[in-house]
Amino acid sequence: MTKSPTDAAPDRAAGDPDPGGNREIEELRRLLLGSERKRLDHLAERLDNPELRTREISRILPEAIALRTAHDEKIAAALAPTVERSIEASIKKNRRVLVDALFPVMGPAIRKAVASALHSMVQAFDQTLQHSLSFRGLKWRLEAWRTGTPFGEVVLRHTLLYEVEQVFLIHRESSLLLQHVVSRNVKTRDPDLVSSMLSAIRDFVRDSFHLDKDESLDSLQFGSDRTIWVEQGPRALLAAVIRGTPPLELRTTIKETLDAVHLRFGEALEDFNGDPAAFEETRPDLEGCLQSRTKPKEQRSFPVFWIVMGLLVAAAAVSGFLSVRGHRRWAQYLGRVTDEPGILVTSTEKLSGIRHLHGLRDPLAADPAALLKEESLDPNTIAFHFEPFTSTHPRVVLKRIGIALEPPPTVRLDLEGDLLRISGSAPHAWIAKMRAVRKPVPGIERYSELELVDTDARAFDLLRRKVEESAVFFEFGSEDLRPGQEREIQRLSEDLSALVEAAKVLEKTVGFGLIGHADSLGTDQGNLAVSRARAQKVLSLLVQRGLEEGLFTAFGVGSSEPLREEKTSGDRDLNRRVTVRVND
Amino acid sequence: MLKKKVCLLGIYGVGKTSLVRSFVFSIFEETYLSTVGVKIDKKALDIQGQPLELVLWDIAGEDDRFSVPPSYLRGTAGYLLVVDGTRRATFEHAMDLQRRTEDQIGAVPFVTVLNKTDLADQWGIDRADLAELEQRKWRFVRTSAKLGTGVEEAFAELGRMLLARS
Repeated sequence: MTKSPTDAAPDRAAGDPDPGGNREIEELRRLLLGSERKRLDHLAERLDNPELRTREISRILPEAIALRTAHDEKIAAALAPTVERSIEASIKKNRRVLVDALFPVMGPAIRKAVASALHSMVQAFDQTLQHSLSFRGLKWRLEAWRTGTPFGEVVLRHTLLYEVEQVFLIHRESSLLLQHVVSRNVKTRDPDLVSSMLSAIRDFVRDSFHLDKDESLDSLQFGSDRTIWVEQGPRALLAAVIRGTPPLELRTTIKETLDAVHLRFGEALEDFNGDPAAFEETRPDLEGCLQSRTKPKEQRSFPVFWIVMGLLVAAAAVSGFLSVRGHRRWAQYLGRVTDEPGILVTSTEKLSGIRHLHGLRDPLAADPAALLKEESLDPNTIAFHFEPFTSTHPRVVLKRIGIALEPPPTVRLDLEGDLLRISGSAPHAWIAKMRAVRKPVPGIERYSELELVDTDARAFDLLRRKVEESAVFFEFGSEDLRPGQEREIQRLSEDLSALVEAAKVLEKTVGFGLIGHADSLGTDQGNLAVSRARAQKVLSLLVQRGLEEGLFTAFGVGSSEPLREEKTSGDRDLNRRVTVRVND
Repeated sequence: MLKKKVCLLGIYGVGKTSLVRSFVFSIFEETYLSTVGVKIDKKALDIQGQPLELVLWDIAGEDDRFSVPPSYLRGTAGYLLVVDGTRRATFEHAMDLQRRTEDQIGAVPFVTVLNKTDLADQWGIDRADLAELEQRKWRFVRTSAKLGTGVEEAFAELGRMLLARS
């Protein structure tokens, strides 16, 4: 009995299996599949039984993972989130497990990090210290203050001139050179030999100083400005030759580059057998280390800053100079004022910018205000407070007496102690006035005129002498003038007039005696008469010329007063004369 | 271009440095031998069309004071063991040195160089000594630094052994 599927469907849909139909199919199955049944059952069991499945998978899982990992990275990527979560879970559950597991790794890593940090700090500090005490350092301190950046940073900015010249990537095990990059224009020696020798030296140092496997030379300095930094990784080294002062970040860059090389070329490093071709592609990484940094361009504000600074300095200098000059001028002025005769400075003080001068001043002393101009001081800044007094300083005394006496330029006044010496020459009028006007002047007790010459008196005396030495000559035996004597008479009249005037100035009266003389020839009586006549003659001639008759007394003395002893007629000629005597 | 690190070993005074002097490219002075204990040179070879560059670590001769620092041997692909053919003691030393080297870096190809063949009348090593070692696959090359013979052969032999290995 067979049922068509359509017939069977409604039944099955109702959820009611058809026992009869099922048994038949079962029988069919048994016939067709027979022995395989067992196997299929077994497989079904395996697939359905989770425990069995787990055991199956556990058997093949490690190999499966290894196989996949060798193929691609997908397993690592797929497992990453799971691993992260497991670590999280583990920490949540029991921190110690992970800590204990990681500790052996973390310990040295932390130590290294701390040491490196300290080293950086020391290096920075050392640089700072080094530059604190130099002139450049002071300049940089100024810049730090001006721009508001920390001094250390300014130092770095200025010392950051460096260039990485070459980088070597060296295989650690064999010391063979894997890759070498060079910065432009740098001369290099055979890099294979250099890198191997560098490794040998590092081995040498490590051996000599009993260092750990991971420690050796990591920094070499040579020349004045060159350094080699070596970073060591598990399988390779990176050595960089640097000119200048490299910043600490460069070390990190080198380290990171080495780490990157280890990551990307780890297999190549492990399998390295002498063929460096595999490391061609490390070139870009290494070239990334060929850094250089040059001095930053001078900031635009630079000249402005220096101009301002210059002006400030100039201003300070100028103000300082002015202040000093002002002080000096004042001191000089003060000195002058103090030295000035007749001025006594008792005190000075400065109040709100005005200098006050206190003291005593003789009215005849120099004016302190006038002296100000000579010292180029501003009168507005100085106030004078002087009390008048009378000074007995010689200069002041002289000044005072000078004003009183008004001497002409030909007179000199000298004060010797308390004696006033008047010397030189002066007209009589002044001398008379001077004698009359002598006022008591403090400081003068005595006067001396010994050396004072009355010019008028002198003139008078000269004239008198001249007149008294002159003579008018006459013919023998008469009162007729000898030829040419008219000139003499003229001269005489002028001299006599002058004498009269001089006498007037001298305020004295003057009279003239006209004395007639005769030679010894003839009688005494006759001589007496003719001498008298001669004197009269001269008198009348003089009166004719304007002289006042009352001034004269004319008389004869005969031959009693000869001029010469009469030996010759020439002598006798000379004796027949009229002379003048001046009476004052 | 394949590069290999190769060492030059031997007791003091066998003539290692003078032996190779004319055959290698140097930039370092021989004074390095007495200071750092190694001088590094280069040897370019062509083994049947294949170029090979040897970075040659000429390690200072062993004596009372100095023995080969193990760190210098690290990473060596092969070495030349130099013996003074006129002094048997150097031969014995070489064998000892070879043993120590093998302990250090494993079974690495090497060639034993018997130097000073020009002094044939002073020769101190007989066939018997060598036979036993040849049995053990030791390779020997006779050289004379004075005449300049055998050196290129020694390098070539070592080069072949290195290429065969890699």
